[in-house]
Amino acid sequence: MADLKVDLCGVRLKNPVIAASGTFGFGKEFDEIYDIGVLGGVSTKGLTLEPRLGNPTPRIAEGRGVILNAVGLQNPGVEAFLRDDLAFLKSKNIAVIANVAGKTLEDYARICERLDGKVDMIELNISCPNVKCGGMAFGIRPESVEEVTRAAKASLRRTPLMVKLSPNVESIAVNALAAERGGADAVSLINTLTGMAVDLERRRPLLANVTGGVSGAGIKPIALRMVWEVCRAVSVPVVGMGGIACAEDALEFILAGAAAVQVGTANFTDTLAMPKIVSGMNEWLDGHGIRDVNELRAALIV
Amino acid sequence: MKELLAEVLHNEQIAPGIFAISLKLPEDVRVGCGQFLNLSVGDGGHLLRRPFAIMGYDKGSRVAVCCYQVKGEGTHILSRAKAGDALSCVLPLGNGFSLREEDKRVALVGGGVGVFPLLSVLRAFHESDKHFRSYMGFRSGEYADMFERYDRRSDYYACATDDGSLGAKGNAVQLFFGDFESAKPDVILSCGPTPMLRALKAGLAERGVHVPCYVSLEERMGCGIGACLVCVCKKSGREENVRVCKDGPVFEIGEVEL
Repeated sequence: MADLKVDLCGVRLKNPVIAASGTFGFGKEFDEIYDIGVLGGVSTKGLTLEPRLGNPTPRIAEGRGVILNAVGLQNPGVEAFLRDDLAFLKSKNIAVIANVAGKTLEDYARICERLDGKVDMIELNISCPNVKCGGMAFGIRPESVEEVTRAAKASLRRTPLMVKLSPNVESIAVNALAAERGGADAVSLINTLTGMAVDLERRRPLLANVTGGVSGAGIKPIALRMVWEVCRAVSVPVVGMGGIACAEDALEFILAGAAAVQVGTANFTDTLAMPKIVSGMNEWLDGHGIRDVNELRAALIV
Repeated sequence: MKELLAEVLHNEQIAPGIFAISLKLPEDVRVGCGQFLNLSVGDGGHLLRRPFAIMGYDKGSRVAVCCYQVKGEGTHILSRAKAGDALSCVLPLGNGFSLREEDKRVALVGGGVGVFPLLSVLRAFHESDKHFRSYMGFRSGEYADMFERYDRRSDYYACATDDGSLGAKGNAVQLFFGDFESAKPDVILSCGPTPMLRALKAGLAERGVHVPCYVSLEERMGCGIGACLVCVCKKSGREENVRVCKDGPVFEIGEVEL
């Protein structure tokens, strides 16, 4: 049994496998299928100040090796999360990462204030491509990445801040540096790539929102490249994601420099994807005589 | 709710573009009528599973039967699955239909592939004392067999087709209201295309019918278990969504916006 424990800016994870925001709700449904206590952490559905209904349906479509979603941040709001969902997640003995989405700088600051000291980490969602106001708007220009990070950081005294970066930008490494300057304790990437799918026969887009976020196995090479670039640019820990579907995928991101990984779309393809990745990591490391997963981190030979 | 690797026993065309697939499960599950499974198409390139109503489940042999329409690439690939292939699936999912003891007279109103969840009701209550009246609509006569070949239980059955090639020209909702006085249902169960469900809802309202009516909805799904909030539907008169996969797929017809 290899040692899978990792440290993410002071947050200790029993293994580097975290459920990606938006694919896992608040964990209750997946826990009906397996004990989610086997995971390193869960990043919650994006939380806003007030409840949000999200976009019209259809909210999902498929391409080859990828999916597209445009859920539009449907969530019950931060207060309902604190009241109804937090205790359950905490009871599972996993790192609880609250994903936070706002329309204004003030929103981000207020939500963070409500969550400070109550969760293990905040993940700032400044890269959701599916909502018109806010979210993504903060995630594009490095100046606004820095500004929103600073605003969130100012209302967090006890909880570390991770900033989730958009790949739909000129340079993700430049934005990662901006987040670091703004006070981010970690960065996570990549959020989905903006894309589109159409129904040729009906001459209509497949998503009601017309465009959506592309994720899944097909985007892995892009995500891996971006994670590698960001890991070389910043000194804060990096959480890598984008198309991870098996233990080998996850270990590749760690090899590129990620401290931990998130798994999203693979949860739809196989509800047991994450526990399989955890056990598969163990097997791979054992099979290669590696005792600690951290030995593999940033060990890519270029 | 379990993640299982099922073995394909049969996968055959039963009507133009409509297939029936039999899946042998490695362990027993409890399946209620109107529940569904989320099935991998098995090629690795399609990351989403396809949700299908479980038309029948035999506890003894652990075989589940689902019927599906080939609509796009994913279902086309599924239609090529052969006996012996292994497909992963999650089941049982959703709330399903439930009938109260006092629901003696049951009206089933189905259209197209919506007949399959209703067939699961007929199978589940095979040995009950309930009186079933089935009104089914199809695009044309060649599709009617997808209901008739499996129905051993309807006390009354009428079919309509869009083109009039079999039964009455029209739809299942017209058949149902035409027979309403003799049917006197205690409960109405329905599944079919959204325009059909809307017509049913409007018809009930126009006639002032207050018989409980439950509809099974279809929506494109992500996880299928209630976590991703992809397959939602609006609650009537409220700023609130319900999840088709977890809170449904069966809803009281007045509860949701169609």
